[in-house]
Amino acid sequence: MAEEKQESSRPQGEMEGVNCLAYDEAIIAQQDRIQQEIATSNPLVSDRQPLKVLQNEYAKEDSIYQLKIKDLHKKYSYIRKTRPDGNCFYRAFGFSHLESLLEDSKELQRFKAVATKSKLDLVNEGFTEFTIEDFHNTFMDLIELCEKQPGLQELLGSFNDQNVSDYVVVYLRLLTSGYLQREHGFFQHFIEGGRSVKEFCQQEVEPMSKESDHIHIIALAQALNVSILVEYMDRGEGGTVNHHVFPEGSVPRIFLLYRPGHYDILYK
Amino acid sequence: MENKYNLKSPAVKRLMKEAAELREPTEHYHAQPLEDNLFEWHFSVRGPSDSDFDGGVYHGRIVLPPEYPMKPPSIILLTANGRFEVGKKICLSISGHHPETWQPSWSIRTALIAIIGFMPTKGEGAIGSLDYTPEERRALAKKSQDFFCEACACSMRTALLPPSPNRDPRPEDHEAQELAQQISFKADSRQVSESAGATSDPPTLSPAENSSPGARDGSEEPLEDQAEVSSLSPPPSAVRSEGPGRPLSPRQRRAHQARQRRETPPPPPHPDAVRRALAGVRGRRQAGSAALILVLTLVLAVLIFRRIYLAQEYKLDYEL
Repeated sequence: MAEEKQESSRPQGEMEGVNCLAYDEAIIAQQDRIQQEIATSNPLVSDRQPLKVLQNEYAKEDSIYQLKIKDLHKKYSYIRKTRPDGNCFYRAFGFSHLESLLEDSKELQRFKAVATKSKLDLVNEGFTEFTIEDFHNTFMDLIELCEKQPGLQELLGSFNDQNVSDYVVVYLRLLTSGYLQREHGFFQHFIEGGRSVKEFCQQEVEPMSKESDHIHIIALAQALNVSILVEYMDRGEGGTVNHHVFPEGSVPRIFLLYRPGHYDILYK
Repeated sequence: MENKYNLKSPAVKRLMKEAAELREPTEHYHAQPLEDNLFEWHFSVRGPSDSDFDGGVYHGRIVLPPEYPMKPPSIILLTANGRFEVGKKICLSISGHHPETWQPSWSIRTALIAIIGFMPTKGEGAIGSLDYTPEERRALAKKSQDFFCEACACSMRTALLPPSPNRDPRPEDHEAQELAQQISFKADSRQVSESAGATSDPPTLSPAENSSPGARDGSEEPLEDQAEVSSLSPPPSAVRSEGPGRPLSPRQRRAHQARQRRETPPPPPHPDAVRRALAGVRGRRQAGSAALILVLTLVLAVLIFRRIYLAQEYKLDYEL
């Protein structure tokens, strides 16, 4: 999609002045339309579905994927999908972890303490308090909701409320950015293009819809001390799905399925 | 104003807070919502004293989208200043023309500081930008003080606190200033990295690298496995195709194209050019075969003619 847009805009490079402005607005409007289309066909976080729904997403003769889905079946039984809007990693992580807290009050208390303290850490790092506190409050509200042991549907409802859900995503992005900047000495080595960690965070972490890579996942996992396992499924040969645990060697709590450009939640 | 809006709306909640935070004018900036509309603000900013905008106080509008702060504000200047066009949405990487780089943790204050920080930078043909001469800008700076905004009933002479004698040229808030520099720097570095590598993709950590130094000894995965996983990291094209928020802004694209046109790397062949070149090859090939047919026809004609001639000669001989 992105490429198509870039293609179609090429001849417009010569346009100037007023036309440009109109053209920019047309592009923004088009992007909004595309986003709306994606939104109407995918809930932010879906219901839990049997893993076999994956089989129907690929052609029967697509042996690479069909084999890998079979391999996935050995370990998992259910999948919960997230909207492919560039925020899927944060949303999948956020929902999956809070869902797990419904049945683990010990971890819930630990997590609540970490989350409560996290705002102060961000403020000390130079984030403006009054701009981040709404995001933090929304995040804390959801954790407190989990304490009241609500039905799963209530949590799912909150995550499908665009306002609430996006605020949680913003806060998780801020936590990721904060951790990367705190540990910039280490993460600097993994950033390409001569950018500083701070620039990287401003360009690839904090803005909404920017996708996540290993570096984001490891930072968030370490910032909240929650272990994440990601199953990688793509066109690579071999017939098996490879996984990676963040941070390495820990016992995973959250299971995510990665297909190029997208994360969904997996259940055993 | 409190009664008119749904206080549960995140935008309303946030804008109320920002209005309180910005209530008192500073010597560098001031902004408040209009009395009847929380989603439209008017602001005044002082031109940096170490620039052609010294002595100028500039007024403008900020229009907030209903999704604020998830979507960026639009900024429109109302005072002639020689740097930004009047009455047109201006193009900072913080404003509405760059929704993909806006950060929800930024605020109206960030936007104001960014405007001040951007004034002395070059317009370079960006949307809503002007590159007036220093003299023109200085003249406009002087004139700007006479501006009176009827909508918010404020005069530029009294809109801001008077500058203190030993003042910093820019907003005193060091942190915020740093942020503004970051914003402008970002726009630059982006363009540079684009023209250098065409596609600047988010860096990918290979699992071997991203384990923290301490955790490495405990790594149980065999090496081949790691290599496999690292090869599975998303290919640039796949990453690009997912997010609609991903594509470069039109301005960046244009800047990129302009740069490409100006600078060394030869632009990739235009599809038309390719088509024309192909047509040429095809044409040459067609011309070649036509010539061959012609030659063969001629040869045949000569042979037939000779045959007839010979036959006739024979006949003639016979008669003789």
